[in-house]
Amino acid sequence: MVQFKNMCLLMLTLALVSLVFTGNACAKDMIFNGSIQEGDGYQINTIVIDVAEVFVSAESCVFKVYDEGELEHDKLINIDDTITFTAEGETIDVTLLSVSGGTLPQATVSITITDDDNIYLKQIVDGGHEKATFPGTPSLEITKEVSSYTVDQGEVVTIKVTARNKGDGKATEVRFSDPKPTGFILQEILLEETGQLTIDKYETRTIFLYKLQANEAGTFEFQPTRASYSNEADLDFPEAVSNIPVITVTDTGKNAKKVAELEFSTSIESSSVKRNDEVEVVINIKNQGDSSANGVVLNIHLPEEVEYKGSNSNIEIINGMPKAYLETFGLDQEKEIRFVIKPTELGTYTITTDYSYQYEDGVSPDRQEVTGEFTTSTIDVARGDLDSVIEQPWYVIAIPLLIIVAIGGWLFHRSRQYRF
Amino acid sequence: MLNILIVGNGQCGNRILDAINKEAFGGKSKFAKFYSQQKYKSKVETIAINTAINDLKELSSTKAKDRIHIPHLHGVGANRTLGKSVFEDNKSHIMRNIEERGNFDVGFVITSASGGTGSSFTPPLIKEIKEKHDFPVYAVVVLPFREEGTLYLQNAAFCLKEIRDSGVDGIILADNQFLKQIGGNVQSAYNTINDMIARRMLFLLDALDSEMMMVTDLGDFKTVMSGGAGLATIGFYEAEKGMNIKTTIQKALSPNGLLFSTDVYKEGSRAMVIIKGDKSYLSIDEISSEVEKLSSSVGHVFKGIIVRKGEAPQVLVVLTLEAAEELENLYSVAVDAIHQEREKKTRVEEQKEIDKAFSQIDGLEPDY
Ligand SMILES: Nc1nc2c(ncn2[C@@H]2O[C@H](COP(=O)(O)OP(=O)(O)OP(=O)(O)O)[C@@H](O)[C@H]2O)c(=O)[nH]1
Ligand SMILES: [Mg+2]
Repeated sequence: MVQFKNMCLLMLTLALVSLVFTGNACAKDMIFNGSIQEGDGYQINTIVIDVAEVFVSAESCVFKVYDEGELEHDKLINIDDTITFTAEGETIDVTLLSVSGGTLPQATVSITITDDDNIYLKQIVDGGHEKATFPGTPSLEITKEVSSYTVDQGEVVTIKVTARNKGDGKATEVRFSDPKPTGFILQEILLEETGQLTIDKYETRTIFLYKLQANEAGTFEFQPTRASYSNEADLDFPEAVSNIPVITVTDTGKNAKKVAELEFSTSIESSSVKRNDEVEVVINIKNQGDSSANGVVLNIHLPEEVEYKGSNSNIEIINGMPKAYLETFGLDQEKEIRFVIKPTELGTYTITTDYSYQYEDGVSPDRQEVTGEFTTSTIDVARGDLDSVIEQPWYVIAIPLLIIVAIGGWLFHRSRQYRF
Repeated sequence: MLNILIVGNGQCGNRILDAINKEAFGGKSKFAKFYSQQKYKSKVETIAINTAINDLKELSSTKAKDRIHIPHLHGVGANRTLGKSVFEDNKSHIMRNIEERGNFDVGFVITSASGGTGSSFTPPLIKEIKEKHDFPVYAVVVLPFREEGTLYLQNAAFCLKEIRDSGVDGIILADNQFLKQIGGNVQSAYNTINDMIARRMLFLLDALDSEMMMVTDLGDFKTVMSGGAGLATIGFYEAEKGMNIKTTIQKALSPNGLLFSTDVYKEGSRAMVIIKGDKSYLSIDEISSEVEKLSSSVGHVFKGIIVRKGEAPQVLVVLTLEAAEELENLYSVAVDAIHQEREKKTRVEEQKEIDKAFSQIDGLEPDY
């Protein structure tokens, strides 16, 4: 019982699936349904279906099918008969619906194709296949030339990219992409055709012309220049890809790595101060290297007993720590960072500053990072002017105060007593 | 410890009282009150009484609560009759103020004899105190400069008499005229005289309250003051460098040291000699011979010696007088003055008679 039920279900499913597939298989896109005069034709891409002869009385018609001018099929069919042929991988059905006489007899036909996605051209052609024109097939060839394939580091090479249309149709909507190679620095662009271009058949055009400086030693494979394009009928063609030039850059040593070398020095306004006096500290920075430094960060570590009081500008307090940040620090640049501190306890102190910065050495692909620290000379903090007072026990201050108050009170009392 | 009352009446009395208070602070400076304590040995109450508020305001070393203002315009203008009636009106107020200060062993009332307020308040005040209490009251009376005019002389004469009649236990005289010798302008002369009196008063108070042997006391003072004609004066001298005690005593008894002009050896009745200073200066022989010399011509002489280490010798003499030639002179001048005043008044009266004569024709028209 269960088996029978399962069988029925399976058969139903199969029936449904086959229905869907049959429906799909039978689906055709209508290309044309209308009258074509005798001697004219209907063009689908490169195919022209000529209505060669119409026999009104016989209710029949001769169709001749040409592909790019070559006769492929030649058939006489009656009304309601169909010629079926394959073109561009699709099946085309041409059905004669009716014929009519007059000065020029004509046939009413319907043309369907299994899939019209690839049809870029469909039209009635007066005069038939003889008068039909076909959009050409462009074919781009990109050549990437380099002025020299072996260069010394630091030398400049010129890159020239040309495109030749060696096909028989105009290339339209041509777009080039030309990735720049690593290890080279773009020095100058002499020519650059950008945007959408059209290249006529057999035309050769220079698309790019630029100069690159070899920056690193090594063997470099250039990435190819690519172009996408279409023909006049908007049919997209496969991307054209250029050759891949390979350049060898030799390390001559004369373009050695560059460095940014920051030199830090400090000075203190006075190396021996009194407690709670303010002292100015100056950090002097000088770039002694041959590359500029970036992202210079200074973290000033103040001892707990030293208070930060302020600065001329560059210093910010982040999480309680005075920090200075300099975006770039050029060659031979010099800078002074001044800040004021106040030691609050006796003792001998130094102030250590850690620093970090980056630079490009001109050779390595990555930025170089430098870190380090430097320390000021010592600051001796001696007793402040008021220290001896502050250090006294409270009563030493309170008693004279009390005495002064008492004397004041007494004088007031007395003068009141004697004022009449 | 004695309880001593000192009252200063009128401007003169007020200022001498203030000088005493200032002297008690031990300093010449009027700021002494801010840093010093008064060096009274006894419990001393001082009261300044005046009708003139400005006179009271001028004082510097007397406490505000010790200044009693009797509101009556600006003083009584040397008019004693007016002064007496003002005192009568304010008697209870003044007496209450004195009574509030407790009991006293001795009282002094300081005044000028010749002004208005002081000279007219003092006699009835002493009378009032003597009626209510039995402690001795002594008047310290300042006599005027003779050139101050008939009105002052007249006032002085009447005032002195009234004080004597008030029941006072003795009058200590100080004479501006006699002390004028010190010189200077009136103001500085006043200050100098006041300081002299103050210094003597303080010395006296010091001597009265002494419990030491060989030292006079209040009893001795009373005895001395009760002698003679009820009039007394004070002599004082502080030895200059190198001066011996004998000379110092002599100086205290000479016009150099006395407050009132008198020939001690002729007019003196009883005396109290108090000698103070470092032991080294105090030669007993010299002192004895000087005291003996005095007592041979004067009646009894009390002698007290206060030994003060390191101090130059000072001598104070309280002397009661049997006779006072100078006072007789003053009275004769005063009597002349009274006569003059009366004549002046008669002249004014006569003037009034003339007025009367003139006034007869008031309202009349000459008839031709
Ligand atoms: N030694 C001395 N004598 C003074 C002083 N002031 C005033 N006299 C004398 O006192 C007399 C005048 O008396 P005052 O005390 O000024 O008068 P008063 O008692 O204030 O009375 P009225 O001003 O008239 O109400 C004059 O003979 C002055 O020479 C003073 O400071 N020292
Ligand atoms: Mg007066």
